[in-house]
Amino acid sequence: MSKTEGWFARYVDTLQSRGWFKFVSKYIVVPYWIWRAPKPKLPGGPRVSPQPSDNIQRMMNLIMPLKDPSPIGRATAVSVVAQNVDEIFAGLDNVGTVHFARFLLLDDKLCMISAYDGDFSNYIRDFIVTVGSVFDEIMTQIDGGDDLIPTEHNVEKFIEWVHEHDLFQAPDYPTHMFALQDEAIGREPNKPPHMIQSLPRDLILQLHANPNISLGGGYRSYPGFTAAQVRDKFGVGW
Amino acid sequence: MVNIETNIQNTKYRPEDIQGNIVRGYNFKYVRHLILEVSDVKAARRFLAASVSDDSGDVPSITRETSWKKKPESCFNIGFTYEGLKALGLSRKQLASFPKEFVEGMTKRALKIGDFGESAPETWPAPFDQPDRVHIVASVHAKNIKSIDGIQDIVARSFNVIGVRDGRALDKGKIVFGYVDGISQPKLKHVHDPSEDKDDQPINPLGVVLLGYPTRLEGVLFSLPQPEKELGFNGTFNAFRVLSQNAAEFETYLTEAAEDLLKHKDIDHLLPAKEVKLFGKGHTRKSAIREIVAAQMLGRWRNGVPYETSPDTPNPDPEVSLTNFNYGYKSRCPVGAHMRRANPRGGPIVQHVANRTRRIVRRGMVYGPDFDPSKPDNEERGLLGNFIGANLGAQFEAIMYDWLNLGLQHPDITGSNDPILGANSRETSWFDLTLKNGGKIRLRGFPRFITSRGGAYTFLPSIRAVKYLSDLSG
Repeated sequence: MSKTEGWFARYVDTLQSRGWFKFVSKYIVVPYWIWRAPKPKLPGGPRVSPQPSDNIQRMMNLIMPLKDPSPIGRATAVSVVAQNVDEIFAGLDNVGTVHFARFLLLDDKLCMISAYDGDFSNYIRDFIVTVGSVFDEIMTQIDGGDDLIPTEHNVEKFIEWVHEHDLFQAPDYPTHMFALQDEAIGREPNKPPHMIQSLPRDLILQLHANPNISLGGGYRSYPGFTAAQVRDKFGVGW
Repeated sequence: MVNIETNIQNTKYRPEDIQGNIVRGYNFKYVRHLILEVSDVKAARRFLAASVSDDSGDVPSITRETSWKKKPESCFNIGFTYEGLKALGLSRKQLASFPKEFVEGMTKRALKIGDFGESAPETWPAPFDQPDRVHIVASVHAKNIKSIDGIQDIVARSFNVIGVRDGRALDKGKIVFGYVDGISQPKLKHVHDPSEDKDDQPINPLGVVLLGYPTRLEGVLFSLPQPEKELGFNGTFNAFRVLSQNAAEFETYLTEAAEDLLKHKDIDHLLPAKEVKLFGKGHTRKSAIREIVAAQMLGRWRNGVPYETSPDTPNPDPEVSLTNFNYGYKSRCPVGAHMRRANPRGGPIVQHVANRTRRIVRRGMVYGPDFDPSKPDNEERGLLGNFIGANLGAQFEAIMYDWLNLGLQHPDITGSNDPILGANSRETSWFDLTLKNGGKIRLRGFPRFITSRGGAYTFLPSIRAVKYLSDLSG
């Protein structure tokens, strides 16, 4: 390696901040790669794992597009949540596997964020059994929600819909994304191995397919314990 | 309006439209499961058409749920995998109307149902090493092997037989671990099974086992494959499993556990020396402890007596019901016992709405050579199991994932696997024995006793649906 880099190498290092390069990347290079090597949308929610600790305190980031994103529509959605939220939270108590849950309004989307133990399908199914008719009220405000009402009669479809609207959870180790991308197109993971240099490109393309993602698995102050174990420990009943 | 009997308009419960061995068992001595590939679709459709017609020629008629006056020599039933339905010519849209877990198939659901490590589908022998070719599982139950051979010959004219699995019933419905099995099945509305007369568990709506009826989940209806009247209604789903049961390792572990327990400071709370006599003649304290460990791990003594109602002896006097009991906060039956995990009855569980909602019908037969505990060998033997329910995800998978392999239903067992069926390893396994004084002794170091050696998710269609499949063209 030479001690002093040539002018060309120094110039390449500055490309990221140069206007012409940003322009070319945004309008030519990235669209070209999206056309040439599109990434499928990666599935939402935590991944299935044989490790018991991976199956406890799992995150759901359900992002639901509003039917009417105007301020009036948003206000209506807020009031529907307000009218039903007590019953929904009481229902979660009966589902028994939920650590916390809350609703957010973000731009034109209503979000339900929760941490739960165990299998995703069982969580959503038990949720519908408990408060399906109440959650239907929420679904009246959601784009595409009418096809799922009553949720009690569309359980399988509703579970799939929630899965699709649950944010993809990016792996804690960036290179694990290669394997997920391989699996999504039915290829054996990491065969052949990926070049680490292609990670930025693959990330950009993935963010085109999944514009919103959860960054990593998140922080837990008491990992590996279920909601019921915590409640049991504090003697508050489970 | 929903008809009182079903959720499909203008339909009623008709046993003659339902395949046999679903809502009631056959109790035959022998079974052979024929694993079939559709190699000639026209021949396959002709076979199916004949199997449900009034005059089937030499093609075996599909046995129906209708009660028989005289028990036949043999019974014939049929289940289709997703790949099988595709091979028969169902349209893409119809195929998409099946539930996701069935569409993906058993091998893709492996992690959910504990099929990893030595149970992983990649390790399965033929024909299950090529799941795309497993199209049909046809089951022949019979009084003797000869009639089974005859039926196989006829089936082989229309399908490619890519594998067979032979099973048989042991005395009293025992499995190779020595337990009496098949004692409790979900009781169903409209179905009279005399063997369930004395079972006082709540009666289930038909929708637990058949598609198109109210389910056990209040207000919930499961979706039906489309067209619902012709294809989905009166059908159900089956998890067909080849489960190798390592009897030698199981017996060895019981001995090791008993030897350790004899040295344990709390042994008198597990089995006071003076109570050995309750186990009958010929028992030592060690052999009796072996039986206690076996009974607590399963939830029944090996003779079928429930541990819950007879925690001190396998020979209660007076006798206790084999089916009528419940679990509570002070139960002697461990929360982690196999039977209590799979069906917690009305006992306390974390998922308050899930009590009694994940029932499945179990139809199992033993495969492999006899096992003699006095001369243990490591031949492969085990169970050919059918685990039947209207919704694989809500029933079979829900049990396997959250209850058997995670122990989510009770804080005391969370993080442990089922001691009998779970995906255990010696390094991490644990199971808490209950003691007479309310205490516990934790067992560790047991291996995985049951491994998967094959299987498939199948759809068990109604008679009308078999006809529908046989009429497909293209």
